Amino acid sequence: MDRIMAVAGGTWRRILRMPVVYFLVLCVVALVGSAYRYNMLSLGMHKTIMMDTSLALNTLAAILVAISITFEIPRELRSGVATTLLAKPLGRTQYLVGKLVGISIAGLVITGMIGVGFCLVFITAFDRVAMSMVQGHLLVMGSVIPMCAVGVLFSVVAPDPLAAVLTALVIWFGHSTAAVLGGIPVLYGGITPDFNIFNLKAESAHEVAISWWYILLATLWGVSFAVSVLVVSSSFFSRKDLR
Amino acid sequence: MWLMGNVIEIEELTKVYGWLPWRRTVTALDNLTLAVPEGAVFGFLGPNGAGKTTTIRLLMNLIHPTSGRALVLGKSPDDVKMKERIGFLPDSPAFNPYLTAREFLEICAKLLRLSPDRRRSRVEEVLEVVGMSAHANSKLGGFSRGMTQRIGIAQAILNHPDLLILDEPLVGLDPHGRQELEEIIFRQEEEGTSVFFCSHILSDVEKICDHIGILSEGHLICNGPIKKLLSETGLNVAVVPGGDDAATKLLLDATSSERREDGGWDLVLPIDAAARVGSVMKAHPGQVSQLPLFETLEEFFFRKVGRLEEKEGRGA
Repeated sequence: MDRIMAVAGGTWRRILRMPVVYFLVLCVVALVGSAYRYNMLSLGMHKTIMMDTSLALNTLAAILVAISITFEIPRELRSGVATTLLAKPLGRTQYLVGKLVGISIAGLVITGMIGVGFCLVFITAFDRVAMSMVQGHLLVMGSVIPMCAVGVLFSVVAPDPLAAVLTALVIWFGHSTAAVLGGIPVLYGGITPDFNIFNLKAESAHEVAISWWYILLATLWGVSFAVSVLVVSSSFFSRKDLR
Repeated sequence: MWLMGNVIEIEELTKVYGWLPWRRTVTALDNLTLAVPEGAVFGFLGPNGAGKTTTIRLLMNLIHPTSGRALVLGKSPDDVKMKERIGFLPDSPAFNPYLTAREFLEICAKLLRLSPDRRRSRVEEVLEVVGMSAHANSKLGGFSRGMTQRIGIAQAILNHPDLLILDEPLVGLDPHGRQELEEIIFRQEEEGTSVFFCSHILSDVEKICDHIGILSEGHLICNGPIKKLLSETGLNVAVVPGGDDAATKLLLDATSSERREDGGWDLVLPIDAAARVGSVMKAHPGQVSQLPLFETLEEFFFRKVGRLEEKEGRGA
């Protein structure tokens, strides 16, 4: 565990030390806050718009974090950073788990900051924030882990630009599973990733209560999906020659 | 089977790069068999593309062999625990640029499972050894090649390794850095560490190593203690002042001669003049002394591998 956390530490520190991350978080929060001005234009629906925008932008941030890992691992392999680490008593699976944990921590911190930023803006504007809104953001945070696992898989089987495109495609596909594969129940939510389970924008925006059990089960599905994807990634990575 | 006393054993190791049918395959190593004795400072030499880095990467389990096998400290290279006893410096070390030197070394110490107290003190120790204490809190991304190399050396010796594998450690170091690295290697040797050292700088290899192996086009062309491999090329003969008769007899065969200020002579004679020197020494007892003259590692290397011009000529 120490070794996994050592690799994870290097990863999340690298991402969270980039000033651009905080600039983007600030932009997202400012964008969500600016929706308050749509009061007149939306005939009083600005509250719902703010909630919907915040969840959409937070999901986008989570997707960007997941795609960033598809550049991070190939860059480390190409530059020799991974070689230095793997020459230490560190298994290849431990390295991949460390990368996933590190990127997931970074993703959780970023989506968490956006969620907290939204809550602060919302409380400032309306004096209160509904629990379903917080739960909506928690679900977005939960989606970071399985999406990053997809990024890890493609980063070990494809070169970085292709890995990023494939990851983006699978994430898009995962968010559209119900629409694309609604009629094929064998695939839906099973073999193919179903990221829609983390998308409860409507419930959050209209303040419909979400069960904590649902959040727990969705998170558990995300973790088990990530573990399965990691097993596949590891079997590819353990056979790979590292230049 | 692992023979006691060898830190590295390689048996008929072959590595072929490229498996796609429409791409050319390259045989980087061809049936390499090699043993590195315990306690040795082993210089692994060869021209560019000879397969030195491929061998090291196979030993570190970074790439997989096509056939054959290797044992490092008696274990297979894929044994993760074995790496706790190894220090490795890759040919172009690269580290996470957002981390400071201290943070990076602490991560390495964590991977090596040093206890938190030991970790902190050992990191400070190695920073001191490689002369980087003043830059401990600077980010690695801002380091020059030489500074990066020093941090690479620091992470390699962090665990007091039983075996230190260094791939081109002298590249990028200034003369002071090279001298310091030589001292580090000598210190490691004194502590009982075996060193597997890969370099192009033959003069340094000659100074540092006691064993060498030369690789060319994936084949090992020689291997053994450096003193046994370098052959005698001539004799250094000294004639005492007043020994002019003896000197006159030897001057005919001398390839170089120099009259000293004290009136004596310093002569260099070819190895086939040894019998003549012997007879002159008998005829003039106490006037003549001799020392064998060995070829340099550079001469030996070119004799074995062939000069680049010769190779190009052969190719043309």
